[in-house]
Amino acid sequence: MPEVLLKVSDVTKSFSEVTALSTVSVDFHAGEVVGLVGGNGAGKTTLLRLLCGLYQPTTGSVQGLVDSEAVDIHQMREHVGVVPEATGLYARLTAWENIRYHSRLNGIDDDMSWTRTERFAKLLNFDQDLHRSTRGFSRGMRQKTALLRALSHGPKILLLDEPTGGLDVTSARMVRKLVRKLGDEGGTVIYSTHNLAEAEQVCDRIIIIHNGTIRADGKPSELISATDCENLEEAYVALSEDDARTETTEDEGKIARAWRKLLTGKGGKNE
Amino acid sequence: MSKIRLRLSRILVVTRKELIDFVRDWRTVLAMILVPLLIFPAIFIALPLFLQGEAAELSSYELTVEVQGELTDNLSVHLDDYNLIIVENDLTTTGTLSDPGDDSSRINSKQGNMTIHAILRLVRVDSNASESWNYAIISDSTNELSYEARIRTLAAVNAWEEDVINTTLMQHNLTRDETFDPINWDGDFSEADVASGGELAAMGLAMFIPLVVAMWTTTAAIQPSIDLTAGERERGTMEALLCTPTARSDLLFGKWLAVATVASVSVLGQMAGLLFAINFLTSGGLETPSISTTGVLLLLLSVILFAVFVVAIELAVAVRAHSVREAGSILGPMVLVFIGPTLFAQFVNLEGIEAWWFILPVFNITLAMREALMGIYDPMHIFMWISTSLAYAIGAIWWASKQFNREDLVESLS
Repeated sequence: MPEVLLKVSDVTKSFSEVTALSTVSVDFHAGEVVGLVGGNGAGKTTLLRLLCGLYQPTTGSVQGLVDSEAVDIHQMREHVGVVPEATGLYARLTAWENIRYHSRLNGIDDDMSWTRTERFAKLLNFDQDLHRSTRGFSRGMRQKTALLRALSHGPKILLLDEPTGGLDVTSARMVRKLVRKLGDEGGTVIYSTHNLAEAEQVCDRIIIIHNGTIRADGKPSELISATDCENLEEAYVALSEDDARTETTEDEGKIARAWRKLLTGKGGKNE
Repeated sequence: MSKIRLRLSRILVVTRKELIDFVRDWRTVLAMILVPLLIFPAIFIALPLFLQGEAAELSSYELTVEVQGELTDNLSVHLDDYNLIIVENDLTTTGTLSDPGDDSSRINSKQGNMTIHAILRLVRVDSNASESWNYAIISDSTNELSYEARIRTLAAVNAWEEDVINTTLMQHNLTRDETFDPINWDGDFSEADVASGGELAAMGLAMFIPLVVAMWTTTAAIQPSIDLTAGERERGTMEALLCTPTARSDLLFGKWLAVATVASVSVLGQMAGLLFAINFLTSGGLETPSISTTGVLLLLLSVILFAVFVVAIELAVAVRAHSVREAGSILGPMVLVFIGPTLFAQFVNLEGIEAWWFILPVFNITLAMREALMGIYDPMHIFMWISTSLAYAIGAIWWASKQFNREDLVESLS
């Protein structure tokens, strides 16, 4: 079994009265491309943010492992590259300046960062655009810049939040090819998406998240055979439909709960 | 690289990036640097020059004044000196001279081939003086030319009055100075003041520098504070930034340094513009304020502590805001929280001032600046304002740091 790089143990994450993740436990190993698959609001982004230390678990723990030694998730940051859903580029800087800013914050020398950036930019057919201002970049160009930024410091783990969302066919294909190449070269990529075909094509392992819980975790073929379905889409439906989201009082605000109680006589916080 | 050097280098990376981002936005540069630099020269120099030009243009017009009643040669000469064309007419009014009567419709209306812009009514009266007159000028103050004609006529009448007074005095073997200025200051008025020009300049600065520093530091820091916090949240750049290994406190400090730099440059620009304008208005007569090295150091320290305090508070408030608009609507009125006490403290007497003034936030810095500029160095006051300002600054930084560690900071709110 490859070495574990990130370990999530019994993590629950709540935001005031909404539970985004509930007692989630999962390990991420070196050299695998993992797809976090789930619908909107399933908890994919919350899990990714927990993995890069942006969120603190309400209960449970998220740990990084460096040379098999457990470290605080914040200490893992230099080994992690992140592409958030909102690419987060500075419009008044060029693509390279955006990348260089982050690599400097990662403590990486400009020359080293440039060498890595240039290599991956060629793979993405983006090397001619590195010195252009990001103002006016298309969604695809922004996504490529964010990817290069995340890769510029040579991270062990790459976290991608919906990296192909809103991209045209060619750009999405390029991103998928790059992710697969990183996986083939021994890199670890954790990849959130709700595109099942894409997940099946790119990922070694798929984790299906639904209503804040992990419903399935395995190779695409294992998920299909475990559910006796013909393809991943059917497997996903089977795994998530059995316990479809029902609006619970936990998802409601105080005012909504008060109304429910007033109108139905039910719906107290603990009911 | 040692840990401290690494942290310092990351702070500077953040500051540098923010400053580059800042100078590339020409609108912000215009609003934060050029406008403050040019606003006072524009108000104090360009505006008066423009007004002079407009006045010169107005004075070049030949205007017509109708003189009703007896016109003396002396007055005629003065009216002529003021570029007024004289039309003589009989005095027909039956009320007071100021009552326009039927003449109200004649002002600014064509009379043959000319327009009457003002009417001067004159009536000689008996007195012991060489001569004595009552007069009134009928004009229309809402009409520029009529108003100008009134001003010129009044000036001519005043000059004529001077002549009449002098003639009366001469008839009684008196001079004007003997009569109206019998008690005179001997020597140079300013020479008698033992305060040096430099000290006077320092006192002058003490009257407005604290207010100016408080007002400009507070206002200049608002826009960059919002842009670097709520702006980053709204644009979605904050999440990627927080994913780097740079500690949040270092990111905050880097941003703080950038805001403080921008605000300082803006304040210095406004100060330079103001001093240049004042120097221009006093025809280069502004002396270099004489402030001791201790005074300069205390002044700098007070400004720095105030800037640390204000910028940290503004950053903290902007971080708490859920959008740029919300941050702006909170920080805008918040400026008054700083300016109000500063304005108040400007009028507190420094002589015999109670020590507790020097522990009140904002008041203490204003008073400290005033004392430093006026060369008052009271060890108790200095200890009190430095220690309390330091505490307030640390408290503000702590609060800002706490806000910057909020979990919801990663969420893009647009």
